Amino acid sequence: MKFLISLAFKNLTRYRRRTLITAGAIAVGIMMFIMIDSMLRGAEYESVRNLKWYETASARIYNSEYWENRHQMPLDINITDYKEKVQKLEEKGYTAAPRISFSGELILNVIDFGEDGSMPIEVTAIDPQRDFEVFHFKDTLVEGRFLQPGEDGILLGSWFAEDIGAKVGAWVTVVTRGNGGFYQSMDLEIVGILNCPNPNVNRSLLMMPISTASDYLEMEGAATEINIRLADNANVKAETAKIKSITGNNSLSVYSWEDLAFDFLAIAEAKRGGSSMILVLIFIIAAVGISNTMLMAIFERTRELGMMRALGMSDSSIRLTFMFEAMGIGLIGSIMGVTLGICINFYVVNVGFDFGFMLRDIDIGYRIQSVMRGVWNFDTTAIAFLAGIIITTIVALLPTRRALRMDIPSCLRS
Amino acid sequence: MKRIILTILAIIMLPISIFAISGEEIVRLADEAQTFKTAKSSGEFQVTDRFGTKITSFNSWARGESESFIEFTSRAERGQKILRTKDEIYLYYPDAEELIRMQGSALRQGVLGSDISYEDMTGGKDRAKQYTIEITGEEKVLGRDCWILKLTAKTRTVPYPKEIVWIDKKSYLVLKGEYYTKSDRLLKEMEVLEIGIFDNIETAARTRISDTMKSDSETVLVLKTFKANVALDNRIFSLEELW
Repeated sequence: MKFLISLAFKNLTRYRRRTLITAGAIAVGIMMFIMIDSMLRGAEYESVRNLKWYETASARIYNSEYWENRHQMPLDINITDYKEKVQKLEEKGYTAAPRISFSGELILNVIDFGEDGSMPIEVTAIDPQRDFEVFHFKDTLVEGRFLQPGEDGILLGSWFAEDIGAKVGAWVTVVTRGNGGFYQSMDLEIVGILNCPNPNVNRSLLMMPISTASDYLEMEGAATEINIRLADNANVKAETAKIKSITGNNSLSVYSWEDLAFDFLAIAEAKRGGSSMILVLIFIIAAVGISNTMLMAIFERTRELGMMRALGMSDSSIRLTFMFEAMGIGLIGSIMGVTLGICINFYVVNVGFDFGFMLRDIDIGYRIQSVMRGVWNFDTTAIAFLAGIIITTIVALLPTRRALRMDIPSCLRS
Repeated sequence: MKRIILTILAIIMLPISIFAISGEEIVRLADEAQTFKTAKSSGEFQVTDRFGTKITSFNSWARGESESFIEFTSRAERGQKILRTKDEIYLYYPDAEELIRMQGSALRQGVLGSDISYEDMTGGKDRAKQYTIEITGEEKVLGRDCWILKLTAKTRTVPYPKEIVWIDKKSYLVLKGEYYTKSDRLLKEMEVLEIGIFDNIETAARTRISDTMKSDSETVLVLKTFKANVALDNRIFSLEELW
């Protein structure tokens, strides 16, 4: 065995250029695997964080009938006396913020926007004093100021503001249906523009004070939802059950962020499947390269192979020698690939790639606005390292088998 | 002497009090004047916006105050149908073979891009019960004497919290209307441009409707044929008939 290993090692050093080229192909495959896996995991991690920070919170309370009708955003299916419920939750140590969400039509005037126009919108009415404790909009202000309770003001997402040509100080009219169904119109001044890292929110964000919305829409102390922030390491399922018991009201239901973002999670799951396919393809390409190189290497040495067999070396020993040789190539490639992968991952994790030019107009499902960053995953690195060695060894079997099928005189003649 | 004067005054005022009509009564009669047991009509929407005028023709069937069925016949929209039942509005698009139930904010959208919203097609016509009605004056519209009535909603469930309507004293047709939001913002205007007589029934032959929130836009609804109290098949107002 020692002889076979030493022979394989000698072969590796004898054909140094071939060894390095083949190992280089494996290294590139492993590096790509580590980098793509890091980016996809990073995108998912950041998306989940941006979902919770800007879209769903950790959990949300709705009227039990609301979920079924949520696409219509009804105001009459609501949480009555939300202040009392928020207080109850806070007494139990939860951070909660009420909101009123409604749909309507945004009317733009020629004076502020250059031409008259209208578009369907969704408005979120927030409690300016509590909302920032649950959501993370506090650091997103890029122009103007935040909302003040009771004012006829509105905040816009920066992409939305850019799309409609909105400036701080301009006025817009929101036409909507109040609680019960009556038409209501609100003239609101744009007081600030937020650049939210969640593209889905930034593309359509309109926020106004809950007290103003409540007056205009005649909500009579009701809100459409209460959002709750939980610690990052909280057991969401257990906490939602606890919150449900605190509300003690059968007409209310508590949803975790996973319930609220089920469509995102389904897409993420599908993406994960697709991503695995990409990674498998990368490995297949690398494997084909390795197999081809090994095939060439074996055919190059057919005479040598014939001579070894004529001298009495068994087929299994020859097969083992070639497998050790392939394993050596795999080991060199894996070491190179993992080293390269770690180096490039430093950049991916700390700096990332800016896809803002593409994500501005295309919704790819991830809640990332521009920079796609990676995350460290040592499991993936270990798997890539081992896979590099194992796959290289396995793909060397096929050409060796083919060469061993030839008889000794044919080997020596070639 | 004082008693004689009071008696004379009472006699003079008597015809006024006997024949004075309340706002509620006027609106009730106006609603009745436009509600038929069954009706069949055809006409067109002339939608004018900044891109020009687009004409869409239709055939329509109605039963009572809350059921109607419209089928569009113009080339671009041929086969599109709108069914209004007591509580719902459904749209059918033949190309997509799709049935859509209109609800929520979608009800504010204009029918085929017109200024008439799906919302305007919903709800009963029993405004006398839903609004506090006040006669605020009189004015001539289309050369006809009209009452001007201010309607203020008693409930939150009607779309327009405030309406001002001009009702013809003779035919009880609403010849002009202004429809406001809760904050008194004018949302929609309606004006009859021409009155026609169809089958001995006087009704609006050309009506202009404009969504005041959309500039440079108005819709003229032209009624070409109208027949009231015709025999209609029950199936017309069923969902199955849309497919």
